[in-house]
Amino acid sequence: MNKISEEERQRILESSPVGTFALMAAVVGSMVIGWLFLYFGVFIPRGIIN
Amino acid sequence: MNDAAERKLALSHLWVAFIAFIVACFMGEYQVLERSGLIPALDSPTVYFASVSTHGVLMGFVLTTFFIMGFGYYTATTSLKVPVWNNTLAWSGFWISLLGTVMAAIPLLTGNASVLYTFYLPIQAHVAFYFGATLLIVGSWIWCGIMVVMFKQWKQANPKQPVPLAMFATTANALLWLWTSAGVAVEVLFQAIPLALGWIDTVDAGLARTLFAWTLHPIVYFWLIPAYTAFYVFVPKQAGGFLFSDEAARGAFIVLAVFSLPIGFHHLYMDPEQAKGWKLLHGIGTFVVSIPTLVTGFTVIASLEIAGRLRGGKGLFGWIGSLPWSNSMVLSAILSLLMLILGGFGGIINASYAMNAMIHNTAWVPGHFHLIFAGTTVIMYFAIAYYLWPMLVQKPLFSNSMALIQLWTWFIGMGILTTPWHVLGLLGQPRRISSVVYNTLLTLAWKPYELAMIFGGLILLGSACLFIYNLAKTQLNPAPTEAFTQQIEYAESIHPVKELPEYLNDFKLWNRVIAVLMLISFGVPILQFFFMNTFGSPGWGY
Repeated sequence: MNKISEEERQRILESSPVGTFALMAAVVGSMVIGWLFLYFGVFIPRGIIN
Repeated sequence: MNDAAERKLALSHLWVAFIAFIVACFMGEYQVLERSGLIPALDSPTVYFASVSTHGVLMGFVLTTFFIMGFGYYTATTSLKVPVWNNTLAWSGFWISLLGTVMAAIPLLTGNASVLYTFYLPIQAHVAFYFGATLLIVGSWIWCGIMVVMFKQWKQANPKQPVPLAMFATTANALLWLWTSAGVAVEVLFQAIPLALGWIDTVDAGLARTLFAWTLHPIVYFWLIPAYTAFYVFVPKQAGGFLFSDEAARGAFIVLAVFSLPIGFHHLYMDPEQAKGWKLLHGIGTFVVSIPTLVTGFTVIASLEIAGRLRGGKGLFGWIGSLPWSNSMVLSAILSLLMLILGGFGGIINASYAMNAMIHNTAWVPGHFHLIFAGTTVIMYFAIAYYLWPMLVQKPLFSNSMALIQLWTWFIGMGILTTPWHVLGLLGQPRRISSVVYNTLLTLAWKPYELAMIFGGLILLGSACLFIYNLAKTQLNPAPTEAFTQQIEYAESIHPVKELPEYLNDFKLWNRVIAVLMLISFGVPILQFFFMNTFGSPGWGY
């Protein structure tokens, strides 16, 4: 584990979690794409339920 | 504080939970083998359905309830720093639940309760099964009562102080379980037991399914909340950082408790006994419950990001590599979140009113709930056990390397088991079948996926054995020559909370909100059974 200065430590604790925002955006985006794929790519082409 | 009594109490609960778990794992592997038809000598619908029912009850009711009680007692005593209130009562809850488990196990194992873990009426089990299930729940209600009393006593002794987050989450789960279990309790007491005793000849299956739907969704959150608790109160500290937001965590637990309850009708989308408007209302509520899960995902990942950066990680994603991957709690959390993403996606498909028709009652559904329960949830039960076991038995963990191998194999095995399961659902394989007695191009296309599932199940079984072996060796090893001093460590928030508004520190308001929401979402749907003609099967069957 790298040693960091007290200033660096404070900066990290006060900074926004940009990596988390990016990961969450990727996850939510993938889910939306996956949902659209299943809806338009699998569900709708199967036609009406009979 | 000498917590020997609490350690013994927690350890006893956890051992019952994990013994149930390992027995159920062997059954699970038998079931994928039987279903594949690979070994003709195994073909037996009678044995298969007895096994599936036992597997479901052991995993869904016994593992979870005992684990949650044991973990809850230890969390309460260590976070509040007080002894468990009324130790005698706690033990009576343990023995009542254990008696119920044994009573239910006898008809299950003898094929007299092959009603699956949902025991939907009018499929009927031996009355001992229903009495056993009732006792298991009654024992857990004692736990709920003790948690609520400890919560209230601490608040009275520490006015205006924020209740420790771990205890806040545990109490949220206890209240959630009291609300959750009411539906199935009414069904069992007023329908299943009278039917099994021959006091009534018929039951209204629609009413029974509606009451079970009351329980069926929030029970998942009852199982999941200990995993979320560990995410918030253990993972940040174990990763070397801080909890991103204490308030967000409390908000997530409140929304989980409130909104997981009035949404059970997404299990009844294809049922005829409820109108589509009610189903749509519950369907919308189901999507609301995804919010606390997203909040949890964000808060936990943000906490990990802070820890990774404090450990020297740079760049947008460089902090991920800096995390202590050899820490079993951190590794479990990461693997659990990965499975939560995949399982959560499957859940969104289930909850989508139209698309539900595509996967309803198909193999997709057990694929989904194995990923969420056996994957996301149970891997965190492992992590909690690895973390607490040394403190409970006052000896160091037998092997951390073995724990890491066990967690990775559980994750890999779960992926190999559940991915084909989802695909089989999309290919049209029904769930709850013991075998396929005809060969068509469709059913032949299922074979490769079933073979993959056998392999995945074998990896999981090996992983489960490693888990039990590690815990048993830890406990049975000779005591260390030096005093064991490890203490439980709860994560601190970046901005520690000094005071909180009452709605983030108590459940009085939220209990009222739940009551109103339950009245809205279940009032008319249940009452209708007493006012409409149900074609010869009156409400309670009398």
